[in-house]
Amino acid sequence: MSTFVEELLFPLSSLILVTAFYMQGQEFIRPMIRGQLVQSILLAVISVMMGIITGDAASIILAALLVVLRGFLITYFLEKGIMKSQVHLHEKHVSVAYLFLISLIFVLTAVLIVYSVVFSGIRTESITGNQGILVFPLALFFQGLFLIASRRTTYAQIMGYIEEENAIVLFAVFLLPIPLLIEASVFLDVLALVVISSVVVVEKFTHERVVELRG
Amino acid sequence: MVGIEYITLIETLLQYFFVVGLSPLFAGIFHRAKSIIESKKGPSIFQPYYDLAKLLKKETLKPSGSGIIFIYAPYVAFGIYSLISIIIPVLIPAPIYFTASADFLGGAIMFSLAAFVKVAAAMGSNSNYSALGVSRMLSFNFLSEGTLITVFFAVSLITATNNPYTTNHFLAANPLQNISIVHIFSTLAFFMLFLYETGKLPLESAGLQELGMIDEAANYEYSGKLLAINKWNSYIKQYLLGSVLLNVFLVPWGLSAASPWFLLDIPVMFAKWLLLIGIVLVVETTLAKLRLFRVLDYLATAFTFSILFLIFTEVIV
Repeated sequence: MSTFVEELLFPLSSLILVTAFYMQGQEFIRPMIRGQLVQSILLAVISVMMGIITGDAASIILAALLVVLRGFLITYFLEKGIMKSQVHLHEKHVSVAYLFLISLIFVLTAVLIVYSVVFSGIRTESITGNQGILVFPLALFFQGLFLIASRRTTYAQIMGYIEEENAIVLFAVFLLPIPLLIEASVFLDVLALVVISSVVVVEKFTHERVVELRG
Repeated sequence: MVGIEYITLIETLLQYFFVVGLSPLFAGIFHRAKSIIESKKGPSIFQPYYDLAKLLKKETLKPSGSGIIFIYAPYVAFGIYSLISIIIPVLIPAPIYFTASADFLGGAIMFSLAAFVKVAAAMGSNSNYSALGVSRMLSFNFLSEGTLITVFFAVSLITATNNPYTTNHFLAANPLQNISIVHIFSTLAFFMLFLYETGKLPLESAGLQELGMIDEAANYEYSGKLLAINKWNSYIKQYLLGSVLLNVFLVPWGLSAASPWFLLDIPVMFAKWLLLIGIVLVVETTLAKLRLFRVLDYLATAFTFSILFLIFTEVIV
């Protein structure tokens, strides 16, 4: 049973990365929010599976928190910010080809870092026994950073932030035992993502590059 | 021993004539089925044969200023596709004569060579429309060629060999490998590529409309016999790519190389092609027509899938 569950970890982690690519190439805001929802639910499923493998109740609680906070609350508040008349709200000038090619470079960078540092330098203990799985959280982290850097819409930047948080959680659930980082992450969820994002999204739709520098 | 060679010879001839002779029929079935879905009566499934017969009887006009490449390129491309049709498993799932000429990557490079010959001929026609189409084609091809080679390269990692026959056998013998995430990724990438390469994308106008044409532009100045050969080339190319997609990626089962069961490969391939035509029809008729510059985004997605697949093959062991 647990071997089968471990086998499933890789495809699910791959799907999380695919959702990151989906969000990266998405122009429309609403599908992007839904992409975040799918990503968070996948993350919760992985957390449950880790709970089954290790018999650790903390992982199951974490999964429940992920579903409630990211799957429900954040999605609800972000979608609430979009008016009914703005269902086609989107960011202009999104070049998918360029974004995907750069994202691929980030994935390759993650692979290089994991293989050169984790495999030969730092000896981390991954639950699956295969440290290659650590590529996924690192690649997801880069995707989140790049999503923030490449977009001007506040929504997209918040999505990037959530992706980074997801990457940290994904990294942490592959390590044993679940570190303090996760608790900090949950706190950030409540404070930054739910409260601040719901305010910022309504207040300011886009963040232009020069506008912050004007007096 | 002599008997085995005799069977191999029959299999080689059967595969070659099946590909060259019946590839227009699959194009005909596709057009007919598409017309029926669009509530039209549609042409006969043998229409591609009628078109070829008509064009072969017509006079060939050569544009002024066109060079020698313009005239001979269709024949060269036909030769290249003929060679590809006997080196990859498109009907018989066991090595036949000429199979040893090239491996998977070699086949991909020959597809690229045929595309290059076509481009060179179109540029040699001295037509502005051809040049326009070729420039579009090449600005998209840098991603499609990359995807083609990456997918073939990555498939070889599964079986540690670059032989499509071994891959076919391995996937047929290990059904669970067909639902592994790495295989699904590569299949998706290759399917997207197949749609692009055969002009089935819902963003290309299949007719000779200057604003929408990409692939058709290369044929713009051709007429008569040369146009017939070019059209035939595109039918063969469609069959070859589709059969690789079916036999190596989607449905590797059902083919036999043993005598006399190899004759059953013909109806099996027909059934497989009907399945593929069904899938392509669903994709083509349900997606809305996109704008031309979106081709690049589409191909970038296919390329991303193929590269991700390559990385996952390395990471997921």
